[in-house]
Amino acid sequence: MKNLLWLQGGACGGNTLSVLNASDPDLFTFLFTHNVKLLWHPSLSLDNNITQILNDIISDRLHLDILIFEGTVIMGPNGTGMYDIFAGKPMIEWLRKIATKADYIIAVGSCASFGGIPASEPNPTESTGLQFHKKDCGGFLGKNFKSRKGFPVINLSGCPVHPEWLLTTLLLIIEDKLSQEDLDEFNRPRLFYSTTTQFGCPRQPYFTYKISTKELGHREGCLYFELGCRGPYTRSSCNNILWNNQSSKTRVGTPCMGCTEFDFPSFNFFKTEKNRSGIPKRLPLGVSRGSYVTFSAVAKASAPQFLLRPLVRKGKGDWIE
Amino acid sequence: MNEKIISPLNRVEGDLDLKVIIENNRVIRAYPMSRLFRGIEIILRNKYPMDSLVITPRICGICGASHLYATAQALDMAYNAYVPPNGVRLRNVMALAEMAQNDVRHTYLMFLIDTVNKKYENLPFYKDMVLRWAPYIGSSYKEAVKWSKKYTEIYAIFGGQWPHGSAMVPGGVTTDPYYNDIMKAKGILTHITVEFLEKTVLGGPLYQFLEINSLNGLEQWCTDYPNGDLCKIWNYGKDMGWLELGRGSNYLMSFGHVPLAEKYVPGNSKLMFDKGIINLENWEKIDLDQNNILEFVSSSYYTYDEGEKIGLHPFDGETKPLPPNASSSKYTFTKAFRYKLGNSLIAPEVGAISMLTVGGNSLMVDLVRRFKSNVLLREIARIIRLALIHKIIMDELNDYDINKPAYKKPDEVNTTRGYGMLEAPRGSLGHWIVIKEGKIYNYQIVTPTQINMGPEDPFGNLSHLSLSLLGTEVNDVNNPIEVAHVVRSHDACMVCNVHFFDSGLEKMVIRL
Repeated sequence: MKNLLWLQGGACGGNTLSVLNASDPDLFTFLFTHNVKLLWHPSLSLDNNITQILNDIISDRLHLDILIFEGTVIMGPNGTGMYDIFAGKPMIEWLRKIATKADYIIAVGSCASFGGIPASEPNPTESTGLQFHKKDCGGFLGKNFKSRKGFPVINLSGCPVHPEWLLTTLLLIIEDKLSQEDLDEFNRPRLFYSTTTQFGCPRQPYFTYKISTKELGHREGCLYFELGCRGPYTRSSCNNILWNNQSSKTRVGTPCMGCTEFDFPSFNFFKTEKNRSGIPKRLPLGVSRGSYVTFSAVAKASAPQFLLRPLVRKGKGDWIE
Repeated sequence: MNEKIISPLNRVEGDLDLKVIIENNRVIRAYPMSRLFRGIEIILRNKYPMDSLVITPRICGICGASHLYATAQALDMAYNAYVPPNGVRLRNVMALAEMAQNDVRHTYLMFLIDTVNKKYENLPFYKDMVLRWAPYIGSSYKEAVKWSKKYTEIYAIFGGQWPHGSAMVPGGVTTDPYYNDIMKAKGILTHITVEFLEKTVLGGPLYQFLEINSLNGLEQWCTDYPNGDLCKIWNYGKDMGWLELGRGSNYLMSFGHVPLAEKYVPGNSKLMFDKGIINLENWEKIDLDQNNILEFVSSSYYTYDEGEKIGLHPFDGETKPLPPNASSSKYTFTKAFRYKLGNSLIAPEVGAISMLTVGGNSLMVDLVRRFKSNVLLREIARIIRLALIHKIIMDELNDYDINKPAYKKPDEVNTTRGYGMLEAPRGSLGHWIVIKEGKIYNYQIVTPTQINMGPEDPFGNLSHLSLSLLGTEVNDVNNPIEVAHVVRSHDACMVCNVHFFDSGLEKMVIRL
């Protein structure tokens, strides 16, 4: 039996709702099958005995195997944490004590991982992530923090987290199969954060031949060159492990917003920032400016004709570059 | 006298603290307190208007599509955008799919599980309630877990992902579906209709349920289809006194919802569910004018430059936050929403019950005429709405013209303003945006939970939730389940409370 506690800080609840979308297995089947006891969850628990549960954990009467935290850690105003009062105290006071009692801690979503939207400038709530503040290791718990099993906070960034990312990570922990080598430099499981959003994107051929779509609302063309898609440099598995069993942002013509990255939200969405020579400021992951320019020229000249027109519908292809 | 602070009150979206004062087993005062502040909208200031399409859905994990739709409408108005009928249809499909998901999850995961409370242990139908609605193990609970996520699949086919997609944009939607997408969405919807809505929720055929237009019809339905949860909620709820519980405001308000695809005009669309306010005392229908919306801060952790007595319209909103507990008369991060009606300020109720009653649904109107507003009718309203949503989504998908576009690029305007108003799952939601020199100068949001659960205004008028709790009889002060029913029947969304501060330039998001 593993005890799991889920708390929310400066959260929208999106990770909770996302996990309720888990299908095979669904959340409750997962918990039952793997003998996990959900001690308490703000939206799901019948009873309202959280204060006692927290006190029991702090006084070692109750063992906490896994703590899941959703939302930012709110330090404001002026470091008091008073912008987030939970069960009669600032959440940071509970969190400081509970964190030392957990075998593993998982930060679900970009808020708990990196601070997310609330921590972006001017950060009015003094929000931070559990163990990162944007790209810097530290956050609320500090750079050297380890949970009882010797792990740093395991970050599952994304706005929200995909249910499959979370349940798989939980399973690895429950079955004692997770090692620190499985985590990347942001303490995220490499399994889900080593590929870019482009992996599996149906628009990849358009990217390859540098064929841009100039406006929203079209199935064809790449969204990176004009419309601000962050897919080529955002590490996520969104186009491999589809959302809600169906789709992804880029599949429905919405540019990737880079929500799994530490700098989310980087703003100026729906628009590709370029330098004076018209090259996107942010290049695909691992590609140098020189290679990009050389490769683009060749790619553009080699573009197959059928990619320059709508694939299925007749009509002018003037939305394509 | 017994003062009870329920902190946190769980099973609402986000955390809510509630202070109730109980005397002789009756609630004599009630203070809903928002105790969390997220500050999202301060961050929107000086950003590009299109950025709000990414940020505002993330105000709320359960109704992000409603925020997105409001943002898209506000930008439509600001840019004077033309939205092709296909674009309106897909927006409607997405918003309603999310609403259906919400209504199912609210009903089963957050509200009905309170029926296993020990207060009801000796009722003859207690065992049936436990078998159906107990958390994790109840037969209907399990069905709700299984099927509620299917609505999000419909959303994702057009919106990419749920929660937090950004596929609605000024001018329409980003998506460009083919026949297979439309077919698949309809297939999923039909599957939910047959396997969940008709079997578990309604207990009988949808088309027949939609013909019901009166209390008699509902009672007949319960005779004909006694095994659906609808019948059980209605009959058990009546027996448990829920028709008399949690009355509240005399006014039901709706911002109106679901624009007709061919008649979409930002701010002035023909709607499937009309906007307005209904006075429950005399059934007068009052036209809704967004100019009459005001927010007050005398009981909230803010100050206004012009003093505590004034109310500000969202376009001119101004909120300067104070640290919590700085003043004994202030107790919440939620501002008080008031609608100016002649010389008085009213604090209306919003939610499914208001949307359907103001919108003219004849079954709902008949029920509310007879029983006013209460815990049971709020729950029944969500089920009626769920049935209606199934029909509307199917109609919109059937009417989608695959050979026409769903997006037309608008011309961005550098200095302009606009608003978007609609019905989110929990009630009326409005976004107001002011754009100056191509950047967001002011972005304000009024949310349903703020409208229902704000504090009193400077003139001592209480908000709807406080009114609905007043006089509530609490059987056992150590088990105030009646109070929980009243609060949860509003499907409170604590993550949605939003405000501005500093000369209306900045705003913040508050979780109760």
